[in-house]
Amino acid sequence: MSNDLSNDVRSGDQFGELLEAYAMGALDAGERAALEAHLATNCPDCVPALQEARWLVSQLAYAAPEAVPSDMLRGRLMKIVREEAAREAPRVAVAAKSAVPYWMWAAVAALLLVAAYTSWDARQLQRQILDVNDRATAELRSREKIEEELAAVRREARILADPESVKIALATSQPEIGPLQANWNAKLGLVVSGQKIPQPAGDRVLQLWLIPKAPGGKPLPSQTVRPDANGNFVLLVANPPELMAETKALAVTDEPAGGSPQPTTTPKWVGGVS
Amino acid sequence: MRAFEQLYDRHCRLVYGLVFRIVQQAGSAEEIVQDVFLQLWRNAAQYDAARGPFLPWLLTMARNRAFDNLRLKSERQRRREDQTEEMPVICTVPQFEKQLDEKRRAARVRELMTGLQPQQKRAIELAYFEGLSHTEIAEKLKEPLGTVKSWIRNGLLRIREGLQATS
Ligand SMILES: [Zn+2]
Repeated sequence: MSNDLSNDVRSGDQFGELLEAYAMGALDAGERAALEAHLATNCPDCVPALQEARWLVSQLAYAAPEAVPSDMLRGRLMKIVREEAAREAPRVAVAAKSAVPYWMWAAVAALLLVAAYTSWDARQLQRQILDVNDRATAELRSREKIEEELAAVRREARILADPESVKIALATSQPEIGPLQANWNAKLGLVVSGQKIPQPAGDRVLQLWLIPKAPGGKPLPSQTVRPDANGNFVLLVANPPELMAETKALAVTDEPAGGSPQPTTTPKWVGGVS
Repeated sequence: MRAFEQLYDRHCRLVYGLVFRIVQQAGSAEEIVQDVFLQLWRNAAQYDAARGPFLPWLLTMARNRAFDNLRLKSERQRRREDQTEEMPVICTVPQFEKQLDEKRRAARVRELMTGLQPQQKRAIELAYFEGLSHTEIAEKLKEPLGTVKSWIRNGLLRIREGLQATS
C-alpha cells in the first residue's frame, strides 16, 4: 500500500476491496495496517461497508456441515445458568401456585360475562393496547425476531435476578396441554412463556389478560403471541396495563389475529396472582 | 430461563456446527459452545442492541474461541479487531436482508457456496474455517497472491448477491 492511497479522494474504492477480507481476518499485516489507518479517518464509505461486510462474513457459518451438540451439553449449560440465576436472586423462590382453585375459574367466567355486557370504551382500550405494544417495541429497539429473543433473554435475566419477582403458574383445564409460566416484576415487567403449546387455528393468536381485583373490573387486554412450530413462545410485557397489587389473576385466551379489546373465548389458562 | 433455553435450542446447532468444523473434535467443540452461550447469558443484560444483531456477534465470538482453542496465535493477532467480545463491533444487516428461517438460510448459503467456482469456495473455506491469511492461502494452493485475493472477494460478493436475490 502506497501512502498516496490515503490522500486520494477516490481511495474508498481501493480500500473497499479489502473490507471483506479484513472482516474475515485474512488480510496480511501490511494491508491490514493501511486499512486500519484509513478506517481511523472515519471514511464515510468504508466504515458502513465494513459493518455490512461483518454481517456477510458471519453468514459463512451456515456453510459448516450440520452438527448436533449432545443433550448433555444442554443439560450442563442450563444447570450452570439456573445456578447462577438462583445465586443472583436467592429470594426469588416464591412458590408457584400448583393449581388454580375452582372458584377462580368461576370468578373469571363471571368477570367475562360482566365484561361482555358493560359499556366499554373499545377505542380507548385499543389505544392502550397499541401504546403498550409501542413501548415494548421501542424498548426492544429491534425489528428482528432473533433480536427480540435476545431482548427477552435480557429482560428475563433481569426479572429472574430481581428478588421482587413473583412466579405465577397458569394452569389449564385441558389435560393434553401443559401450564404456562409467568414471572412478574413490578418494575421490570412481565414474562409469560409456554412450551409445546398447540398453535391456535389459522392466524389466530393467544392473548394475555389481566383480571383486576376490583369487583366488576373488566379484564385488561395485553399482548398477543403465536407459539412457533415447536409450540414455544415467550411473551414479554414491558409495561403491564395494571399493577401487580391490583391484579387478581392472569388469563390467556384464543383470539383473532391482532387480539381483541375484550375476551371472545373462555380462558385456556388462568393463574392467580398472590 | 425459558427464553434462554429457546434461544439456545434455536441457535446451538449453527454455533456447534461452526465450532466443530474448525476444531474437528466433539469434546473441545462442546466446551467452546458452552462457553459462548454462558458468555451470552452473562452479558445479555448489558448487550446493547444498537450495536447490531447479536447472532453475527455470537458467531464471531464462537469462531474466535475455536481458533483460540487451536492456538492459532498468529491468526488471532491478525484479527485483533474482533477480540472485543464483551463489546461487540458494530455490524449492520443490509437493507435487502429479510428474515429467512434458519433452515432455509443454511440451505441457501450452502447452495451458494456450492455454486461458486471450486477455487473460490476453497479459498473462502481456508480463510473462514482454517483462519489462513491471503499469503498463507496462496502458499498452500501454490497460486499467485492476487488471484487468491480476487477468488475470496469475488466469491463473497457472489454470495452476497445470492442472498440479496433470495430476499
Ligand atoms: Zn474508505
